[in-house]
Amino acid sequence: MTLLLQTLILGLLAGGVYALMSSGFTLVFGVMKVINLAHGAMIVVAAFLTWWLWDRTGIDPLLIGVCLSPVMAGIGWLLYKTVIARVQRVDWELTLVASFGVAVAAGGVMALIWGAEGHAATPSYVTASFELGSLVVPEAQLYACVGAVVLLAALYALLRGTFLGRAIRASSANRDSAALVGITVERTMAAMFAIGAATTGFAGAALSVLYQFVPDSHYVWIGRILCVVILGGLGSFLGAGLGAGILGVSEALTSSYVDARWATAVPYVLIIVILLVRPQGLLGGRVRADGVAA
Amino acid sequence: MSRVARPRTTSHRTRRVLGAAVAVALLASGCGLSGSSDAEDSPNDPIVIGMSLPLSGPAADRAKPGMEGYQYWADEVNANGGLLGRTVELKVLDDGFDQQTAISDYNRLISQDKVDLLLGTFSSDLNLAVAPVAERHKYLYIQPSGGADEIFARDFNYLFFAQPATTQRLPNQFVKVIEEMPSASRPKTVALVQQDDPNTTQAAEIFADRLGALGVTTVYDQTYAPDTSNFDTIANAIKQADPDVVISGAVTGDGVSLVRSLQKVGFSPEMFYQENAPTSPTYAQAIGEANTEGIFTPLAYSTETDFAGNKDFVAGYAKKYGGPPDEDAANSYTAGQVLAAAVEAVGKLDQAAMAAWLHENTVATIVGPLSWDAAGRPQGELLLAQYQSGTLKVVAPETGANADILHPKPNWQ
Repeated sequence: MTLLLQTLILGLLAGGVYALMSSGFTLVFGVMKVINLAHGAMIVVAAFLTWWLWDRTGIDPLLIGVCLSPVMAGIGWLLYKTVIARVQRVDWELTLVASFGVAVAAGGVMALIWGAEGHAATPSYVTASFELGSLVVPEAQLYACVGAVVLLAALYALLRGTFLGRAIRASSANRDSAALVGITVERTMAAMFAIGAATTGFAGAALSVLYQFVPDSHYVWIGRILCVVILGGLGSFLGAGLGAGILGVSEALTSSYVDARWATAVPYVLIIVILLVRPQGLLGGRVRADGVAA
Repeated sequence: MSRVARPRTTSHRTRRVLGAAVAVALLASGCGLSGSSDAEDSPNDPIVIGMSLPLSGPAADRAKPGMEGYQYWADEVNANGGLLGRTVELKVLDDGFDQQTAISDYNRLISQDKVDLLLGTFSSDLNLAVAPVAERHKYLYIQPSGGADEIFARDFNYLFFAQPATTQRLPNQFVKVIEEMPSASRPKTVALVQQDDPNTTQAAEIFADRLGALGVTTVYDQTYAPDTSNFDTIANAIKQADPDVVISGAVTGDGVSLVRSLQKVGFSPEMFYQENAPTSPTYAQAIGEANTEGIFTPLAYSTETDFAGNKDFVAGYAKKYGGPPDEDAANSYTAGQVLAAAVEAVGKLDQAAMAAWLHENTVATIVGPLSWDAAGRPQGELLLAQYQSGTLKVVAPETGANADILHPKPNWQ
């Protein structure tokens, strides 16, 4: 019983971390329809920056992560202006290839700067846990989960409650009409992409604290992020949370009760199953046009 | 009408693109990306030595010092007049820790680039795949790492291992330590947790058998995939099994992740033995220096032994790369030493003659004198080391030991 409860707790906490990693991706995908395969690489860049600054200054890595958000937003804005926007004008499907290219290049550049060795930020609480009887709740994971909830709520509020949010949704629904009512579509999209990138600041800091990472870690993470987003429903924040929870718990149960060897296959199995059974994801709404057609 | 049609198209395209994204992610997670160095291929002079290393991907942290060890060896050979009077040039490809890429890289080095000599790659996983390529083309293949017996069980003629022993003998010293403990304080239970790699899984089987014979029961035995990043649930299951000894068959960064997860779930065994990871230069920082205390690891090499050339190698390497050589750097250098000895002894680049010479002779290296059986298995013993006060001390065998064993391992700090 202890094993089961502890496995569920650890699975849910891992899910919280996955939700954190996926939040910016689901935002950019859900609203802009851009599959940014460089999202994982940006998380790893932020993880390296966090580790590097922590190593030199000793400042709390998660705090560094918060401060890195504007930096990552800047990098995101630059990426959008120099690559994504230009490619998107030709054919928006090309953004997939372009962002994958950026991810591969970023992996190489990171290896040149920081080397291929594994790194991890290790503040005092990294291995500490809260104890509930015989159960433990790892502190760092809990902080990352709280961060994920705050971040997802903030993004939801931004999209629903601010003019920028409405402008973003309008631009995404119909560029021409949005421009007609006075929205600068290009600038709005760049802002959206930058906000998505800003989330990688804290996500990267969490990665640097929770796991050891190398420049190529982004391949593993983008796989999980795609799984979370597809599972939960494209562009749905609640869905991202749910998908992340399901992935975390499924991996944990597989590792504890089936075979640890199969745990890393869980994301891909889930992607295939959900695409076959419910392609719009668990909470993904069907596009209104689909409803009309049906 | 068009307003209805447009989003519908987008939705369909979205799914199509999504499918492509999934395919790309699957591909990306399954295979590394290869690239090549700028080494020039020239058939006459200098002697070109080809190799493909996992310079990117999950084993990149092992390959970097490995590459430096090879480079240091080549530079030293060239500074001393080269091999057979010709300078040595390395042609290095990157296999991204992917078996198929490694196979095609070595095929390319042999068939297309027509390199003069080969040197081996890292890990049992890659060497298992590459050794048959060299054998088929009748190229001498000296591998610096990868001691799984599966590799040598095929009785290849051109294959040689540049460490003192294969995985078959890896558990010897640690099992002996447990065997020699008084029966009252001898551990009763063991947990085995290892990466899915021919070397670590074979070692785990041997440990289970030999410790079982000593009355130590295996209470947990799990193998995990190489790209596992979350070890919390594994650590939790180990905690629930509550073993006296944990034997971790790590390959690289997975070792650090497991230790950190054991710390998180609050489980510290009496004895902790881990393969490969503890010799990584970033290990102590990643798990916290105080937490290294008492951790055992097998060593193929130590900077402190007096074998011929070792002190010069340690000093020269530290001068060139700013720190002492780790095991991987030393193993590459050793592979180079073995290759050079065969070339110089035969006096020409005759692969069959060099292989025959190595089967008959002993080569003095920085890991001690090496000789091989008919399948290329070295006939020496590995060392057992333990972290004490932040450094790895050799604790067994007695002849090479420079410290007593610390038991039990202190709790995590």
